[in-house]
Amino acid sequence: MTDLIATPLLWLAVTLVVFEAADILSRRSGRHPLCHPVLWATPVLIGILLATKTPYATYAEATQVLGFLLGPAVVGLAVPIWAQRATIRRLAKPLTCALLAGAVTAIVSAVGIVWLFGAPVEILASIAPRATTTPVGMAVAAQLGGIPALAAVIVLMSGVIGAMTATPLLNLLRIKDYRARGFAVGVSAHGFGAARAFQVDQTAGAFASLGMALNAAATATILSIVAGLL
Amino acid sequence: MIGAIALLLVCQLAGEVIHRLTGLPLPGSVIGMGLLLAWLALVPRERLTLTQVTGWLTAHLSIMFVPAAVGVMQEGAILSRYGLGIVVAVVVSTLLTLAVTALVFAAVAGREAQDSEEPAS
Repeated sequence: MTDLIATPLLWLAVTLVVFEAADILSRRSGRHPLCHPVLWATPVLIGILLATKTPYATYAEATQVLGFLLGPAVVGLAVPIWAQRATIRRLAKPLTCALLAGAVTAIVSAVGIVWLFGAPVEILASIAPRATTTPVGMAVAAQLGGIPALAAVIVLMSGVIGAMTATPLLNLLRIKDYRARGFAVGVSAHGFGAARAFQVDQTAGAFASLGMALNAAATATILSIVAGLL
Repeated sequence: MIGAIALLLVCQLAGEVIHRLTGLPLPGSVIGMGLLLAWLALVPRERLTLTQVTGWLTAHLSIMFVPAAVGVMQEGAILSRYGLGIVVAVVVSTLLTLAVTALVFAAVAGREAQDSEEPAS
C-alpha cells in the first residue's frame, strides 16, 4: 500500500476530485468570482495535506504534471492575440497607450505599496507581475527571484477584486465604451476579469481577453527590461 | 492534434533555449509565445486544431496552478508579517490599473474618433 503513496496517482486523484467539487459549487453560483474553484480547492487541499502530515514537497512532486501544462498554455496565448490582429491594427493607438499606461500603473503601484510596508525583495518580485495571467505571473516572479506560490495567490486576489469592482468603478468613472471597459478589466484582472466581462457584454469580453493576453506579454517584457537594468 | 501539441512544445523549448543562450530575462514560455506569434504570421495555414488545443488549455488553466497555489502553505511567516501590505497593495493597484487603463483607452479612442469626424462610440 505505501508504494501507492509514492506514485503521483493518489495526489493527482485527490486534486482533481477536490477541484471538480469546487467547480460544481462555482457553476451553481453562476460563476461568481468569490466562488472561483481555485479559491476553494486550494485551502481544502492545504487542509488535507496538514491533516495527513504530508509535506508540500511530496504533493508538489506528485502533481508536477499539472504545473507542466502552464508552459504550453502561456505559449498558446499567441493564438488569441493573432486572432485579434485586425482589431489590434485598427485600434493600435488607444490599445498601445492604454496597455502601457495600465501595465506600468499595475507594476509601480503594487510594488510601491508593499515597499512602503517594508517588504523584502522576494515579495516585491512576487507582486510585480500581479496583473498578468497566473502562469505568466508565476514564471516572471520566479525569474525575478520571487516566490511563485505567493505570486499565484496574489494574482488570484487581483482577479477576484478586479472582477468584483470593475462594473461599479467604471460606472462611477462614466466610461461607457465597452471596448475601454473590457480592455481595462483584462489588463488589470486577467482571466477573472475576462470571465466577468463576458457576463456583461460580448465586446467587453473580447477586449478583456485581448487585454489579458497583451498585458501578459507587456508586463513580462517591461519587468525583464527593468531587471536587466538593475 | 499531435502536430498542434508538438508546435506548442517546440515553441516553448526554443524559447527556453533562447532564454539560456542569450540570457534574455523573459521566461522561456513567454519567448515561446512570441515565436508562435511569428510562426502564425509566417505560415499561412488552416489552424483549427491549434485553436482547439490552446482553447482547451485556456479553459482548464485554473487547475494547472492549484498545486503552486497550495505551496503558499509554506509561506506562513511571510504572510503573517506582510499580509496586510500585500492586501492593501493588491486592492489599490487593481482599482488604479482599471481606472487608468479605461480612461486612457477612452480618451485616445475618443480623440481619434473626433479627428476622423466619426461619431464617438
